[in-house]
Amino acid sequence: MSFALSSFRKDLARWRQDFMATLIWVAIPLMLGGLITILMGSEVRPHGVLLLVDEDETFLSELVVGAYSSGELGEFISVEKTDFDDGLERVNEGEASGLLVIPQGFAEAFIESEPVTLTLRTNPSQTILPGIIRNVTEILLDAGFYAHQLFSDEIQTLTSMTEEPSDAQVAAMAVAIQNKIESVAPRLFPPAIAIDVVEPPHAEPSPPLALLFMPGVIMMAVVFAANGLASDFWREREQGTLRRLVSSPALLGEFLAGKALAAAAIIGLVGGVTMVLGFLYHDITWVHLPVSLVWIAVSGVALFAWFSALQMLFSNPKTASLISMMLVFPLLMAGGSFFPLAVLPDWIAAIGRASPNGFMADRLTTEVTSAAPVAIDLSSWVIVLAGAIVGLVICGWRLRTGFARA
Amino acid sequence: MPQPDTVWFTTMLTVSDLSKNYGDFVAVDRISFSAGDGTVFGLLGPNGAGKSTTINCIAGLLKPTSGHAAVAGHDVVADGKAARSNLGVVPQELALYEDLPAIENLRYWGRAYGLTGQSLDTRVDEVLEHIGLSDRAKDLPKEFSGGMKRRLNFGCGIVHKPPVILLDEPTVGVDPQSRARLFEMVEAERDAGACVLYTTHYMEEAERLCDSLAIIDHGKLIAQGTVDELRAKLGARDVLQLTGHFPVEPTKQAISALIERGNDDLEFLSQDADSITLTLSQASQHLPAIFEAVTGTGGSVTETSLRSPNLETLFLLLTGKELRE
Repeated sequence: MSFALSSFRKDLARWRQDFMATLIWVAIPLMLGGLITILMGSEVRPHGVLLLVDEDETFLSELVVGAYSSGELGEFISVEKTDFDDGLERVNEGEASGLLVIPQGFAEAFIESEPVTLTLRTNPSQTILPGIIRNVTEILLDAGFYAHQLFSDEIQTLTSMTEEPSDAQVAAMAVAIQNKIESVAPRLFPPAIAIDVVEPPHAEPSPPLALLFMPGVIMMAVVFAANGLASDFWREREQGTLRRLVSSPALLGEFLAGKALAAAAIIGLVGGVTMVLGFLYHDITWVHLPVSLVWIAVSGVALFAWFSALQMLFSNPKTASLISMMLVFPLLMAGGSFFPLAVLPDWIAAIGRASPNGFMADRLTTEVTSAAPVAIDLSSWVIVLAGAIVGLVICGWRLRTGFARA
Repeated sequence: MPQPDTVWFTTMLTVSDLSKNYGDFVAVDRISFSAGDGTVFGLLGPNGAGKSTTINCIAGLLKPTSGHAAVAGHDVVADGKAARSNLGVVPQELALYEDLPAIENLRYWGRAYGLTGQSLDTRVDEVLEHIGLSDRAKDLPKEFSGGMKRRLNFGCGIVHKPPVILLDEPTVGVDPQSRARLFEMVEAERDAGACVLYTTHYMEEAERLCDSLAIIDHGKLIAQGTVDELRAKLGARDVLQLTGHFPVEPTKQAISALIERGNDDLEFLSQDADSITLTLSQASQHLPAIFEAVTGTGGSVTETSLRSPNLETLFLLLTGKELRE
């Protein structure tokens, strides 16, 4: 086992001489991940401004103004009173979602059941908030119409008075309104239509998209590192050190074990740097870090072993490197490094999860988004470990069957 | 089959009836030789003769098609690990980690042969001193000159003090100064008791270093013995080489006529339209007669070379071609 440790130290020392390659393995995923996180990460709730020109300034027009800024609607819309010219200019410049003009005589026209026009101008560069404002305005107008129909007698009485109503008249009107409300109450409270409220099963809030993207970015760094380290077998062959090794009594298994350990350490570091930055940015609980680090180190060794075995099948290092690189980008594409698997159509996501790095990224997603400190299941660990061992066995077979002796 | 006629006190390397075939091509054809401790055994032959294939079979890099090789009594196939433990290999091509300091290269290969701890550190210091790289121990080989790399390559092969050392054309592409240093290092290993198998196609190296040697061509061993024994095969005859233009058949007949006229020790080594090589005793006294015979056939001599016999001559005698063709 001491020669395995010696090989491990030797590969780490050699890797330090080629630090630029490591920077590239980390920098490309970080740049890509950073850009996409900036694009996806700012999840601000939409909030619009409704400019309101109240030329009527009556109790009724104030009710309309209040309707837009009360309750939950107030979280989406702020109402600002302004004059028409200023409002028009601001809507045209895109500073507000809409401009509502309540004309003079609005209240009187409403009471007299005369036609009146409310003018609503919306910002064409926005879609959702102007739509909300338009719908709310239509609901208000419908509500006004039904209120007018229900209390038409009382409104008629009020408008026909030439003098201020007496207490008795006010009381009589209040009683009449109360009677009408009571007469419709059995149909309104509760509503005549029975509604079964079926609540959907309680679901965990889905994680932000940028967080779902993070495992793919980490796996991109791991794939780059694994592929880069795999080319070391060819480098050793060209330096003649594999031939010297085969003519020594040292065991190839120990040599391979040393290489795998070095790959685990380097990939762990490369993936770890990316991961720590991701944890910091997304405020992920640190309890997930150890398991996640071990997962990417083991996954990295599996990828390293298979890339190595693949590269050793070819007859020269250029072909090996070219084929290997040609494989890397489809793998990254399928495995969710450019698009999180969670946002892809189900059938594409299923293909992605079947790819080696997609499988690894999917389990890493489970780990970092789970409440439990260890969320990756045992079977996944077994699959990745078995993949690493089989890959290394193939590497050993290839070394023994001529690759090292050539 | 030539057999060694020298008795070694302790045989460290034995090769018997070793063959290596690649399909129908026979790279090494039933070669046998042995070498003892404290000696340098030369394997001499032109490029492609089968020297490296023989070395690779001994080093465990190739499996012999038939025959055996043993290092310090251990068969290289049946008891490969023990055989390799007793072997130090200095390959023709450099076999170094260019991106690992010289001292770390030596430590790594020392550990590959089982050295650890203080014994490893001590031996690495000795080897650095021996190969003259103590002051560059922490530098990377990629910053070294070609000669320094060759010395480190040698050091990596002997770091574990092997009783048998295989040196495969170690001086190819090496400047004269580094070559002289390598010779000194090989002699030091021999003096320390190692058995050195040295392959080369440079006769002067073989003559300087080797206690005994075997000449190999087309995979076959064509001569074997000490340098003096092999020289004796040529006797005291000189080598005469004439360059010019010579009609082949008439020239051959004219030389044959000279032999029939009493020049018994005159012998053809080679002949073509541009040169003739002959061996004979006291060649300078026979030059006029030879010139007359050659020019009488219509040939013309533009250059004459007369030299004492050496291994190059022997190779020419045995194979009819120059060693470096």
